[in-house]
Amino acid sequence: MAYPYVSDREVRILSKYFGDPKQRHVDTYVERGGYKALEKALGMGPDDVVDVVKSSGLRGRGGAGFPTGVKWSFMPKEQRKPHYLLCNADESEPGTFKDRELMRWDPHQLIEGCLIGAHAIRAQHVYIYCRGEFFEANQVLARAVEDAYGKGYIGENIFDSGHTIDVTVHQGAGAYICGEETGMMNSLEGKRGEPRIKPPFPAAVGAFGKPSTINNVETLCAIPHIVANGGEWYRQYGTEKSPGTKLFCVSGHVNKPGNYELPLGFPLIELIEDVCGGMRDGNALKAVIPGGSSVPLINAEEARACSLDYEGCLEVGTMLGCASVIVMDETADIVKQVRRMVDFYAHESCGQCTPCREGTTWTAQILRRIENGKGTEDDLDTLMEMTQNMVGTTICVLSDSVAAPVQSSIEKFRDEYLALIRRGERMGVA
Amino acid sequence: MPVTLTIDGHEVTVPKGTTILEAAKRIGQEVPHYCYHPGMSSPAMCRLCLVEVEGAPKPIPSCVTTVMDGQVVHTQSDQAKSNRQAVLEFYLVNHPLDCPICDMSGECDLQDYVHEEGRESGRSREPKRIFGRDDFGGDVLFYGDRCVMCTRCVRFMSEVEQDSRLTVVERGSRSVIDTFFDEGLDGTHWHGNIVDICPVGALVSKDFLHKARAWDLEHTPSVCTSCSQGCNIELHTRDNLVQRLKPRENLDVNGWWMCDHGRDNYEWINQGGRIEAPLIRDGNGGSKAVAWKEALTALLEKAGDAGKGTVRAVASPLASNEDLGALKALVDALGGGDSVFRSARAEQEIVLKGFPSLARRRDLAANTTGAELVGLARTGADDASGGLDEVSGHGGVLVVLGDALADQDADFGKNAALYVYLGSHESAASAHADLVLPVTTFAEQEGTFTNLSGRVQRFWPGLEAPGMARPPWLILGALVAELTEAEAPRSAADAFAALGGRVPAFSGLTYDDLGDRGAVVNEPVSISGD
Amino acid sequence: MSDVPFKNPGWAGNTGEFDLTEEQVRGDDFVGERPAHGGHASGAATMPFMLPDRDPEAPLFEGEYQERFEKILTRYPDKGAALLPTLGLVQELRGHVSPESMDRAAALLGLAPADVRGVATFYTMYNKRPVGRHLVQVCTNISCNLCGAEDVLAAFLRYTDTELGETSEDGNFTVIEAECLAACGFPTCVQINSRYYENVTPVDVAKIVEHLKGQSGADQ
Repeated sequence: MAYPYVSDREVRILSKYFGDPKQRHVDTYVERGGYKALEKALGMGPDDVVDVVKSSGLRGRGGAGFPTGVKWSFMPKEQRKPHYLLCNADESEPGTFKDRELMRWDPHQLIEGCLIGAHAIRAQHVYIYCRGEFFEANQVLARAVEDAYGKGYIGENIFDSGHTIDVTVHQGAGAYICGEETGMMNSLEGKRGEPRIKPPFPAAVGAFGKPSTINNVETLCAIPHIVANGGEWYRQYGTEKSPGTKLFCVSGHVNKPGNYELPLGFPLIELIEDVCGGMRDGNALKAVIPGGSSVPLINAEEARACSLDYEGCLEVGTMLGCASVIVMDETADIVKQVRRMVDFYAHESCGQCTPCREGTTWTAQILRRIENGKGTEDDLDTLMEMTQNMVGTTICVLSDSVAAPVQSSIEKFRDEYLALIRRGERMGVA
Repeated sequence: MPVTLTIDGHEVTVPKGTTILEAAKRIGQEVPHYCYHPGMSSPAMCRLCLVEVEGAPKPIPSCVTTVMDGQVVHTQSDQAKSNRQAVLEFYLVNHPLDCPICDMSGECDLQDYVHEEGRESGRSREPKRIFGRDDFGGDVLFYGDRCVMCTRCVRFMSEVEQDSRLTVVERGSRSVIDTFFDEGLDGTHWHGNIVDICPVGALVSKDFLHKARAWDLEHTPSVCTSCSQGCNIELHTRDNLVQRLKPRENLDVNGWWMCDHGRDNYEWINQGGRIEAPLIRDGNGGSKAVAWKEALTALLEKAGDAGKGTVRAVASPLASNEDLGALKALVDALGGGDSVFRSARAEQEIVLKGFPSLARRRDLAANTTGAELVGLARTGADDASGGLDEVSGHGGVLVVLGDALADQDADFGKNAALYVYLGSHESAASAHADLVLPVTTFAEQEGTFTNLSGRVQRFWPGLEAPGMARPPWLILGALVAELTEAEAPRSAADAFAALGGRVPAFSGLTYDDLGDRGAVVNEPVSISGD
Repeated sequence: MSDVPFKNPGWAGNTGEFDLTEEQVRGDDFVGERPAHGGHASGAATMPFMLPDRDPEAPLFEGEYQERFEKILTRYPDKGAALLPTLGLVQELRGHVSPESMDRAAALLGLAPADVRGVATFYTMYNKRPVGRHLVQVCTNISCNLCGAEDVLAAFLRYTDTELGETSEDGNFTVIEAECLAACGFPTCVQINSRYYENVTPVDVAKIVEHLKGQSGADQ
């Protein structure tokens, strides 16, 4: 069965079996070569596994882009306390829908990646923190975990290696902030999912006070392939600083929205015009958010110059984030969409830090007032300055995420704001 | 290993592990903060203590960041000030303009910080969110609109009292402090402290609500008299009345805390109906108010007539070390005898689990230990009644200091050759007193108490004594001077030194040694009766 | 987006096949529901959602739910960490998390009731008051918003005859806005109880509502 849309420009490594429900069965997974990488990894020392991942240059796929092998190497090399691997499956960033697909189509790929990762960081227990709304993914994962236990791929003495690793699927309860790694640890411990200050870092004091590492679903899904084929193999895709493939989640005003696995460094404009079948109704491109709602907007001109890797996005003044490409055409109402994003942050703020707690709601209120035609040009100055006060002053970066769409939209689409302020006119309908 | 760093151009050396905020305190630089409190964990969430550290990419929360050698910190730089100004503006987005009706006005951190470093005017034109007023139970009212979400109260209840009654409910700008529905704070013993630590007027005391303005109050350092822990407190007074009690910091005794029982127990200090002048009873049930000289002369005459014989004295354990020392000296000078005291006792201690050296103790008076050290014997039941059978019918000299004799009848002291009653209020049992002498309460005099660990702590007068009331050490000291040709004490310090001359436990200690944090007596103290 | 020419093999796409069973939509390879006894001792809660006619006086958990609760406890190094799965089980049984449930969950896990209240109110998914048999959560975040989510929301409000956030008079529907449900490529995404409905357009809403009226709250 062909997945919604498949492009021949894709390099389908992680997403090879999207659309194929048989892949959920452990027997099928094994037939197709599954759990061999795990066997290989368990035969290696933990530090050797880390070296393979380091050599691949894999960067965290959850948005921060931190080299995974380096992150794993922060864990203590001696086992003095229990170590934990946390899989961040709390996918809540607006525009992002890759982890859900990975979990519900290929759960064993994720499980295998988790087990290899646990071995590499000397962890005995993996918690897959899966978002609460993902009932299907939770179920599929729980069943897959059960099947894997039944076959001996999880549990005691896996592959007679002497290593014991347990996996628990922990269902969240609806909070975007639990996707922040320290917020996730607090939520796993049964508390409010409020981020913690760093230092201490999770590799020193993490879940339950023990050394922990948190990795995104997509990152862990890449691990079995890297271990099976080697770091050099992975580097054949992508760019030098951003190697490998990435699942790009394209949504918005394109003809064929969906997940596309492409090598990093892919030109954004080709993604829109070729892979996604071009703009809906042939409309003109107005704006793109290339990395989920927390990164700055870019206009059509910048989009044409943008290559989809971590460095390429920085060059045009935005960030790759989790590679969730939201495409807006000429019918989009920028002010309304920015307001909706800020509403989201105001709803999801945990409320600890004052700039975020007060600033998100204040920003949303100002934007709503502007949308209703009651804004002033002073409001734009207030927004620029006040959101800048939310950058770098808080425990986590949710606060910084509000500044990105607000400041970039005022800078690049000021006329839309002014139309509302001066004439009460909207410049879009969507 | 000490660490040296530079803060605002000054070099400061502190032990490793000190936070930047604490290090700044050492050079007198108070970095504004809300959520940090030395007695609890630090979540670093108010973001007010952000300082500029050279080489750091972002502003650093000084309350949790430990110092490093060679660090250069700026708490007053443009960046640090503009951070604080920004955070203060965020606080004022929703904080109501309640100052005219808020109890905290005048001692409010938000007022002070905004006045110092805030913007001239806030830029928010949006309607403020409203939470309203909530009764948390106990003595605490919560004005939700004023709350700055520092969560000190939540952390106090869960970490210090270790009875988690408060929590943050909801998240984001809808978050507010609340209890578990109706459970409230009832049944807790230390909740008054959350009113102290609340930096704004969100948590207020029901007892103090709209009673007095902070700037009208005078603060006097003192010691709580409600049990033998000896928590360091302040008397807050206005119009010569105690308006409330607040704890004073003393890490060796009570940390930053005091219990609700002690905090609530101050109305008795304000009680009127005081004895205002020395009274001499004529034989016919009447009394005459006389000047002190006349009263003391009459007393000495009568004492001479009574001759040598056993003296019996009853004292209150709320009397100071100096008072009790002078009483003992007088008893000895009059021929020696037995002195007793009565104190109420609770069934159990109430320990503050998060600061376990602090508890509401069983002895419900401040100076039971001082009394024992001076040489008085405990008598009576746990409700401070009885135990005076030998005293009430005594035929010789009988001296009562401070004990109100509430359980005794009018026949008390009927047979005494000389019955002197020193107290703040008359009693039914003072009917047969030959002399009734007005004395000060602890709030009206200088002196010291000895707590159950043997710590001697000074207290100062916050109120003016009514009428001609005088401290007992002054009165009794003058009498002793007449009887023994010793020097009469002219100050509480003198009286304390005189005490040191008589009781080895106190010898060598001076008021300077005690300072305002106290010092421990010379010999190990065993807590009797426990 | 209603003429997208594919059958998104999700739950129920734009195919109008809302009355099909899971097996029919997904084929026999559907991995399916976790067994009622909870299957492996993993912490994930599962369907059915909001079992009707539960006795409010009954112990918090009994029978198979008590077994699941005990299995959940074995997955964490300390009891307090089981709070989220426990509240999830409570909501599965009773449809919402009430103060009494919070109190009893606190007792079971050795936590202070105030702390449990703090946790239960922090997370969006715990209903603090009873909701309709079908909790309709329409994503109106940016990706769905760009593709007409607000029209879908308005359609749901019209066909269920409710106000936003309120329960309909017949007790069948509560309609709320949701944040991004992670189905952005298939706008508009609507989550009803535990099922995702993707590629929903205003035209589909009437059919969906009719279909739901014929069901109980427990999903198939």
